[in-house]
Amino acid sequence: MADKLLIGISAQGATVGYWRERKIVECRTFASDEAGQAGFKEHLAQFPTVPVHIVVDAVEEDYRFETLPHAIGSDRAEMVSRKLKQHYRNTPYLSAWLLGRDSGKRRDDRYLFSALTNPELLGDWLQAVIARGLPVAGIHLMPMVTAGLLDKLAVKATNLLVVAQHAGGLRLTFFRDHQFRLSRLTRGESGKAESNTRYFTDEISNTRLYLHALRTMTLDEPLTVALIDRGDALQEAAAGIARDNPGLECVRFGRRDLADRLGLDEALLEASPYAIYLHLLGLKEPHSNLAPASVTVGYKRYQARRGVYAGCAALAAAVAIWSGTNLYFAWMLRGDTEDAGRRTAQLSSEYLEVTRQFPRAPTTAENLKKAVEIGQRLRESTHSPQKMMALVGRALEASPAIIVREFGWKYGTTEISTDGARARAPATSAAPAPVATSTGPASSRKESALIEGEVRPFRGDYRSAIAAINGFAGRLAAQPEVAEVQVVKLPLNVNPALSLSGNTLDNPEQSGSTADFKLLLVFKPGA
Amino acid sequence: MNQSDLQALRTPLLVLLAVLVAGALAIYFTAQLMTAARQQLLQQQAQLKQAQVRLQKSGDEKDIIVRYLDRFRQLESTGFIGEEQRINWLDGLRLANQQADLFGVDYQIGGQKPYPFAAEFNPGQLALNQSLMQLRFRLLHEGDLLRFFDALARQGGGIFTVDQCLLRRIDTRGVIRFQPNVSADCELSWITARIGAGPEQRKP
Repeated sequence: MADKLLIGISAQGATVGYWRERKIVECRTFASDEAGQAGFKEHLAQFPTVPVHIVVDAVEEDYRFETLPHAIGSDRAEMVSRKLKQHYRNTPYLSAWLLGRDSGKRRDDRYLFSALTNPELLGDWLQAVIARGLPVAGIHLMPMVTAGLLDKLAVKATNLLVVAQHAGGLRLTFFRDHQFRLSRLTRGESGKAESNTRYFTDEISNTRLYLHALRTMTLDEPLTVALIDRGDALQEAAAGIARDNPGLECVRFGRRDLADRLGLDEALLEASPYAIYLHLLGLKEPHSNLAPASVTVGYKRYQARRGVYAGCAALAAAVAIWSGTNLYFAWMLRGDTEDAGRRTAQLSSEYLEVTRQFPRAPTTAENLKKAVEIGQRLRESTHSPQKMMALVGRALEASPAIIVREFGWKYGTTEISTDGARARAPATSAAPAPVATSTGPASSRKESALIEGEVRPFRGDYRSAIAAINGFAGRLAAQPEVAEVQVVKLPLNVNPALSLSGNTLDNPEQSGSTADFKLLLVFKPGA
Repeated sequence: MNQSDLQALRTPLLVLLAVLVAGALAIYFTAQLMTAARQQLLQQQAQLKQAQVRLQKSGDEKDIIVRYLDRFRQLESTGFIGEEQRINWLDGLRLANQQADLFGVDYQIGGQKPYPFAAEFNPGQLALNQSLMQLRFRLLHEGDLLRFFDALARQGGGIFTVDQCLLRRIDTRGVIRFQPNVSADCELSWITARIGAGPEQRKP
């Protein structure tokens, strides 16, 4: 838990308690004079940036219980602010505490308005704190802090009056059903035990009358008085109170008892009457913070800084966990890798041992097998013009008028060119070699041939010449392995799109005209 | 939040920024370490599996070596495996010319190139190459072409494929005697295999 500086301020002076590890480790009191102020400032100089919590014990305090129409958000804030200004015009130290909703039909909001009506009481002390740059977390009235005492005292009473002797007088705080209702600080103190008893009894009686007048509690109702006796000097007073007020139960809490219940050092209890309240303030921040925003701005920045630093710490922790997890997994994976490496090396050495018994080979078994299989497949897949020549030969036997002058053959992914023979010659074809793997599988290659020839004898009878060529082509096309036969060129172009000229008197034998043709023959892939 | 609030929070925000940057870097680098370690493990596991399979199949490997070694040596001696044996090819041409009773063969051999149809054979670590040979010769008749190729194949000078041929009838003006009647222009691919450059062959 963070360190705190707890300051109790009264008209008589200030008590400063340094809170560390859930307890007050140092407590000093400063009188309300120049020396006290100087000592106070000097004492504050020890604490660089510790948040300050202030409790004020003053006569000049005011409490009002009021109900306001139920509202939320800015409407509520505006209404409450207006109400506070209406009640307390001359002090910046005021507060509104929403107690709950009314049980009536309207279910109004119940508020406790409280204020320190003498701001000058705080003036110099608070100025010293702010001048020192210490963040002020809150300013609270003593009765609000006293509410925290009820749980510690564990007194089960509907009407409970906590009575304690303070530096400024006797503080009587009334709680009904554990809820604050009234508090008084009476000036005056008696030294003798006898007059002390009278003084206590009178003030308790006055308080009862006052409560009765306020209709907070009737005189007939039982009341429990919790007498805070930090100096173990009120045994007789407690007995006297009980004796003089039969309808009243008085429970005294001595120094040891208080120290045990609060977990407080007895020496601190003796040092200052405010040690109890500073301890309670350190344990829990009460409601009803009187400090205006101009006073708590430093604390808000302090909180924001701490929030950011806490975020940094959380982030760093998350990063550390994340990175640590990554490193752990990386380490585990490396371990697995090393293990796999060792096993691989072991298997490799076993394999080497086995291979020593192998016949000596120029390469791996896989390469041996592949090389032999590829060689075999290449030999088996070798193509030559033989098949196509045989097919053409068979067709020629049935076509004696067809004379072949040129026979071009190709085995490739493309068909043989149907251009002039010179262009098709291998030496000049520049081998339009298929591009590496873009050519596709073996079955995409096919055999093709270009047959150039003439019809002989030819006596100018184009009809019979063309019929002979077509017959020859038809015989070729009838073979099962043939995919396509295309007549590329005929002796006479009968295409109606082209012009045609000649002389019927010309003697073809004398004029040298021939019935030339060209046939493209393509085998099916894989044939 | 005003200017003075920001001023008050400057140091914590700078610290936060530094933590963010340092944290991001730490996470990034440790994640990189983990990723690298995972990849190394995957690689090592693959090698381990390979070693396991290799050891398991070592018996098969021995059988394969015994089964294929002789034929491999034979292919090596013919020149299919290893460096090109162009002298063997020329010797083969000369002998085939004699055996087919041709009238001489003109040849021209091009530079060695990767065999474009290598992928069809899934050569693995083998690199298949080809050298194109242009042949020009004259024949008594068309049948001599096939006899010539048969004779060339029998010489054992390597493996070749015939890519294209052009046969052209020579005008002898009707004279019948032992003379060339057909001219032939052919293109052959001499194919060789070399061990060790397979991947490039597969991915030209």
